[in-house]
Amino acid sequence: MPIKEKFTLFHFVNYAVFAIITLICVFPFYYLFINTISNNDLSSRGLVMFYPKDIHWTNYTDVFRIPGLGQAALVSAGRTVLGTILTVAASAFLGYLFTKQMWGRSFWYRFLIITMYFNAGLIPWYLTMLQLGLTNNFWAYILPAIVQPFFIILVKTFVESTPLALQESAQIDGAGYFTIFAKIIFPLITPILATIAIFSAVTQWNSFTDTLFLITDQNLFTLQFILYRYMNEATSIAQLMKQSSGAMMDLSNMATPTSIQTTVSMVVVLPILLVYPFFQRFFVKGIMIGAVKG
Amino acid sequence: MKKRLGSSALLILICAIMIFTAACSSSNNGGNTNGSGSEADSGNGAGGEREEITIDVFSMLANYAGEQPGWFAKLVKDKFNIKLNIIASNLAGGQQKIATMMASGDMGDLVVFGSNGKDYQDAIKAGLLLDWTKDDLLNKHGQGLLENAPEAIEANKKQFGGGTAVYGIGFDVGTGEGPSEGATMTYGPNLRWDLYQKLGSPEIKTLNDYLPVLKQMKELEPKSESGRPTYGISLWSDWDGNYMTLAKVVAQFYGYNEGDGLNPAGLILTHQNKDEWQGVLDEDGHYLEGLKFYYDANQMGLLDPDSLTQKFSDVSSKFQDGQILFSHFPWVDNVYNTPERTAQGKGLALVPFSEEKITSYGQSPYGGNRVWAIGAKAKDPARIMEFVNWLYTPEGVMESNYGPKGLAWDIDENGKPFVTEFGWKALPANAEPVPAEYGGGTFKDGTNQINNTTLKLTNIHPETGEPYDYNIWNSTLTHNPDPVTKSWREAMGVMTAKEYFVKNEMIEVSKPFFTTETPATPSAQMQQMTTGIGKIIKEYSWKMIYAKNEAEYDQLKEEMISKAKGLGYDEVVQYEVELAEKTVFPNR
Amino acid sequence: MSVNHTSSKQMIKPQARNRIRPKDKYTLFLMALPFLALAFVFSYLPLYGWIYAFYDYRPGIPLSKSEFMGFDWFTSMVSNEVQRQEVMRVLRNTFAISTLNILTSVLPVVFAVFLAELRSAKFKKLVQTLTTLPNFISWVLVYSFAFMLFSVNNGFINHFLMDLGWISEPLNVLASDDHTWLSMTLWSVWKGLGWGAIMYIAAIMSIDQEIYEAARVDGAGRFRLMWHVTIPGIMPTFFVLLLLSIGNFINNGMEQFYVFQNAMNMHNIEVLDLYVYNIGMTNSNFGFATAVSLLKSLVSLFLLFVANSMSKVIRGESIF
Repeated sequence: MPIKEKFTLFHFVNYAVFAIITLICVFPFYYLFINTISNNDLSSRGLVMFYPKDIHWTNYTDVFRIPGLGQAALVSAGRTVLGTILTVAASAFLGYLFTKQMWGRSFWYRFLIITMYFNAGLIPWYLTMLQLGLTNNFWAYILPAIVQPFFIILVKTFVESTPLALQESAQIDGAGYFTIFAKIIFPLITPILATIAIFSAVTQWNSFTDTLFLITDQNLFTLQFILYRYMNEATSIAQLMKQSSGAMMDLSNMATPTSIQTTVSMVVVLPILLVYPFFQRFFVKGIMIGAVKG
Repeated sequence: MKKRLGSSALLILICAIMIFTAACSSSNNGGNTNGSGSEADSGNGAGGEREEITIDVFSMLANYAGEQPGWFAKLVKDKFNIKLNIIASNLAGGQQKIATMMASGDMGDLVVFGSNGKDYQDAIKAGLLLDWTKDDLLNKHGQGLLENAPEAIEANKKQFGGGTAVYGIGFDVGTGEGPSEGATMTYGPNLRWDLYQKLGSPEIKTLNDYLPVLKQMKELEPKSESGRPTYGISLWSDWDGNYMTLAKVVAQFYGYNEGDGLNPAGLILTHQNKDEWQGVLDEDGHYLEGLKFYYDANQMGLLDPDSLTQKFSDVSSKFQDGQILFSHFPWVDNVYNTPERTAQGKGLALVPFSEEKITSYGQSPYGGNRVWAIGAKAKDPARIMEFVNWLYTPEGVMESNYGPKGLAWDIDENGKPFVTEFGWKALPANAEPVPAEYGGGTFKDGTNQINNTTLKLTNIHPETGEPYDYNIWNSTLTHNPDPVTKSWREAMGVMTAKEYFVKNEMIEVSKPFFTTETPATPSAQMQQMTTGIGKIIKEYSWKMIYAKNEAEYDQLKEEMISKAKGLGYDEVVQYEVELAEKTVFPNR
Repeated sequence: MSVNHTSSKQMIKPQARNRIRPKDKYTLFLMALPFLALAFVFSYLPLYGWIYAFYDYRPGIPLSKSEFMGFDWFTSMVSNEVQRQEVMRVLRNTFAISTLNILTSVLPVVFAVFLAELRSAKFKKLVQTLTTLPNFISWVLVYSFAFMLFSVNNGFINHFLMDLGWISEPLNVLASDDHTWLSMTLWSVWKGLGWGAIMYIAAIMSIDQEIYEAARVDGAGRFRLMWHVTIPGIMPTFFVLLLLSIGNFINNGMEQFYVFQNAMNMHNIEVLDLYVYNIGMTNSNFGFATAVSLLKSLVSLFLLFVANSMSKVIRGESIF
């Protein structure tokens, strides 16, 4: 990095502004967290605001006792790891291919891009998945996610901004497309691949609509789905109230306490936060290669 | 070149394998279930130990998804060797989930419909439901149903099965006459009893009389326990449908109810037992009366300013903290009426107004509109039928609601039911740990998660001579009432809220009616029109409540009415009234 | 290596890539084929469902037994005067909020550029990680948090302002229609800022350090470096995203607006997606929903192509 500069007013302001932005972003999270470890009675009455009161961890122990949580964590982790690897590999490869003169390149490129802008609707999608045998099937999480036009665009844009000379020299040396891709392009575009990996991992981890509609086998439930179930209880109760002309039941007993709902959402977010710094390393690595390549 | 071709071939191969394995594993699943189903059948025939099966219970009422846990799971496993895998549409995309299930052609093994409207009728039309008369299923395995709910089966046959087929049975099948509620009614209004007593129990004649009383109560207790301001009335908007639900509740204080009891509710309210109706926007109707009531409350500073933006759960927290002095429904009181508070004499309790004619749901031998049905592709219809059958027997009703005998309830030497020590802690659905021999977990988690009822709980249990509902067992009513209940009983001269309304003839009970008409399924255009109008009504209703003055209130009202009419309000009302006059009024 | 390697001009030299053996283009295609097939299966195959837009489709009942509606669903949105007013209102909201979103899409760029100026690597990482947090909180939770902040009764913003004596009456921010578009935009900026910046941070990371060195030797100051090196380095990414978001102009999504909607702000918060949900999905009117989504798809594609051609004319390059 640059030679040492003085700590100027610019730096001061810059640091201050980022500190404030960070605080604003962290506070809600912090707020939710202190509410999960505070006395449930106080927190449900809205009395916990800035610091925890009567700290306890029973919410967390309760959440870890939710049946099927371990299995769900496994499924979530599985789909995230496998899905991300395949998506990143496919995006990198396709993004690269589309910088080459392949047969009908611009047609196929558009063929992929426009899929981002149309949507067949829920039922046709569901019936297609059903026909493909992708209901109650782990691959339902993976296969549809492999080709992501958005990521392909990102890679293509990125590859196009890398020095062409390297590829050309390799090509002259007789290297095939795979070799050029693996040996030259791949290392050059690590930062964008890391970005894609983060995006895709988070999408996989957070996704629950596929579980909602495609999965009824509880061995394939994901963490997000369990969270969704809890978060949605209030809506569900409201829905029941709308459906039922009269015949109301003792609904106040049916709802899961807010404390548990919040705790589940904490538990679901934490793994991402733990993994994120790991990806950040690849950002730095990108610089190194960038520096070396000249 | 070869190398490259080889690699792309490899990729294709990988994809092919993935798709292949995918297809395979799913077809395997199908194969397994079919296999176990047929084996179970033969086992059944031989009368030997039956193989365990897992059935998919698709419930539009369930609030839990996944395998049924706890004591209810153990009961069903022990009795039928069945595991219940519950699919809850409300937790998985609501109407959209229902749509995908229907589109797939397989709605699961046991199906619970939230209403007997469009979804149920479409499912029958699409051949998704099993006809219970096929293979004599009902006669062979459904004797309890035929015994305990014969009219309900008959009604379903006439309404939905063309007079021959049976595609399900309604819930809450009642016997006898009079209100079907238990100890408390569905509606209130309830007030903070201690404060009301301190004020000398001023007489409340009309709905508006609550407001000055609430004002005095608020002055008496301006702050809640945690120092927050108290409010006379607090509302929430997340239960609104085609209009503001809590304004409609006012109509329910006057013996009116939404819809007509048969066809889907839209924009009219009908009287429980007179052939009268009003549109929600009628000038002198109860809906607008409700809006005016809340508007007045707001003008007097009694209305919670967060009413519009909060959810029911927020209101529940406020009740818990003692911030709210008025409740529309008796069942929201629980969070405030804890043993500690009632011991101090603090609690919410019923304080009706003398003009009140509370809406009550009568006993109906034909059953209500939530339907139990069996999927056309059910694995083992006979065993599912047996299970449903059991739910409709006295034993099934008691055990599926309150757990196995001996846990939360028991029968004393005189043959009368009573709540056990454990029961007092666990009922109705508390997170009380359950001993492992009864299935473990907590009582709450173990409750029947299908969430539909069978026989009405106020029916009399043939063996005990007391109702199924533990709240109105003799032993319960006399069980150590808390000071608030005691004081309330003394002041009102009755044991329960229901008793009070019945005794003072302040109740309008719906009469059961038998009809061969199926509930109407309004066309998609009609529904869309209704929703569009409902959006306008909801939006303006809330604005009117928070209007600054009468002039603004009236102006908003005019706007609401003219916009709603512009979208076809009159047409919808006319459609609904015609339906009610044709299919409901002549039959009761 | 010189400056023009990473500058945006680099990518508009497709001819340079044309040195290719003639047979290779089929090989390349074959390599892409499996993926194109996947896209076809998952994105194109279900499109047969667009036919539902012309029927009164009820799930489970075959189309042959469903009522044919023609273009009724398409025209139902504008069937009478009040309806037309409603649709105009909804479109106005959609345009306003989309425009604000596009305007605020430069914020992540600014965020990334200034973040790169932070000297402490630890602090940089910390900021980068923590500012993505809001992205992980669902809108439902965001609303309950907003309610905690802004409610009249317990909201601590009100308490705080009243304690300071700045206001005498509590403000009811959530139940107000003032600046609804702006506040919705602010919420989405808050939620997406750190997350949206990731891509630009990655782009900045891959800018050749030597360019900075060279420029610095030439005597360029901090801001000139930002303007002449950093910004051009991330422009390709920015323009790609901009074009894509223009294609999404009429798709605001609905979750955010769904959780924040109420009677007071309904007039200005109801964007197209929310309107369709409010009016169609609560009835499971799939015919109508399909009709709208078909229309939206066509409009989106149209916008995308227009934006793409404009980009070709103005910037001399396009994304496809």
